[in-house]
Amino acid sequence: MRKGALKKKRRQLEELHLDRREALGELVLGMYVQGTWDDEIMSRGAAEVREVAMELESLSSPEAPGPELQAKGESAEFEMPPTGEHTAEHDMPETAEHTGAQDLPDVGPETGEHTGEQPAAAAVADEAEADPRQEKPGDDAESPAGKASGSDREQEPAADEQTAKAETATKPEGTPTGPKPVTGGEGEQLPFKAGAGTRPAQAAAQQEKVSELDRMAERIAKTEQEAKTASDAARAAVAADARTELSAITREIESDRSKLDAALKEAAARIEDAEKRAAAAEAKLARESAANREAAADWVRSQAAEIEADAAIAAEIAADSGQERTGADDEGRPQLEARIRALETALEAEKASKAEALTVAESRLKAIEESAREAEKRVEEAEAAVSEAGTAPVSVGAAPGVVTEAEAREAAVNWLRGQIGALRQEIAKGPAQQPGEES
Amino acid sequence: MALFRRGKQSGRERRAMKDHLIELDQLRRKQLSELGAITVEMADAGRFDRERLSAQAREVVGIEREADLIARGLEEGLTLEELEELSHGDDEPATDTGNQ
Repeated sequence: MRKGALKKKRRQLEELHLDRREALGELVLGMYVQGTWDDEIMSRGAAEVREVAMELESLSSPEAPGPELQAKGESAEFEMPPTGEHTAEHDMPETAEHTGAQDLPDVGPETGEHTGEQPAAAAVADEAEADPRQEKPGDDAESPAGKASGSDREQEPAADEQTAKAETATKPEGTPTGPKPVTGGEGEQLPFKAGAGTRPAQAAAQQEKVSELDRMAERIAKTEQEAKTASDAARAAVAADARTELSAITREIESDRSKLDAALKEAAARIEDAEKRAAAAEAKLARESAANREAAADWVRSQAAEIEADAAIAAEIAADSGQERTGADDEGRPQLEARIRALETALEAEKASKAEALTVAESRLKAIEESAREAEKRVEEAEAAVSEAGTAPVSVGAAPGVVTEAEAREAAVNWLRGQIGALRQEIAKGPAQQPGEES
Repeated sequence: MALFRRGKQSGRERRAMKDHLIELDQLRRKQLSELGAITVEMADAGRFDRERLSAQAREVVGIEREADLIARGLEEGLTLEELEELSHGDDEPATDTGNQ
């Protein structure tokens, strides 16, 4: 495998390892959140992570001794040589068409017996690559291919052993193991080649073909394993994601529920507060209206007493004037007139005081009306507060009582107005009666 | 539902919150990776120390909660003071930390 591909592969494996570790962490987190621990699942997840870690290690470990092996010439079949010895043997295509037939030009000129059996296409295709060797068949040591085959020839037994070991160690089950399908025609040529003295080069080429197939098989097996690992990781990640998502949704629902509870509690507290305020406002209104009614009744009673006193005074004056009229002729008329003037003055003073009392009563009435309006306003505010808090039942329950109080207040005010009107009429009657009485 | 609409979030606060959110995400991934590594170690040892796993998971949950809070702050335009006030309102969930 090339170094770039190796690096890429390692990077992918490292990312996969990290992803699997995170997925395992998510899994454990989900278990913690749900409070259900499952050792088996954790072990399985850990095994998956460990599997990737081992794969990563196995990928990293052959890299260190690689250069040493190349220096010794043992890894010529597995890696590209770092020098200019990269020959046509290393560029063999990975198809089944590349068989021993391509090596025929090496031995063809020496024997001449196999030239007819050689496929024309393969011979033409291989001609360009094999030309140097065909031109100098015995000069292997000087040509680049000859150098490679020479080094292979020297270390052939060791390389054979290593290849066999590598095959048995790395080959997965079910993969093609032998060079038989590919090198079927070579069996016939081997004795011939051996007889011609080109056996080491062909053996090396054959070995390389075998190793190429092995590498292909190994690559396929590795790809399959990667795909399996990736699918397992994806499955584990999906499971972990689902659990995490579930736990997140559960948490979200819980937090929403707690928020809703808090909002409900707050609303209930506000409703209770509004109810208390409405009750306090109602009680205050009732107290104020009772006090106002009491005050109005007192005032009216005092006014009635004053009116009665005035009427008594007027009757007394009338009686006095009658008596005076009967026996007045004897007394002096100027004295009588003086008394009348004094009485008229007293009456004027009384009228003035009554007018003043009337003014005071009007101002008192205005004050009462004002306080009634304020009380109604407070009631409205209380009702608004209750409706704001969303307590329709409370406002509906409070309305009838409030309306009754307002009606009672209105009735009291009307009664007071009537009393004041009666007082005014009384006062107006006073001067009208006086001239008649005098006459 | 915006409970806190008293102040206005400044651009600096918003940037700071975004940066912090990114940091928290990285920290969360790191903590999760550590949690996975610890789990692998425990699996190798053949015994799962749930208390230790719970402690590590609790850290991740704390990070997630903080990230949620910051995300909410960004979404609702809360100031840092309001976020702090909000963070005091949260309480820890009760979870099973029994040992094996």
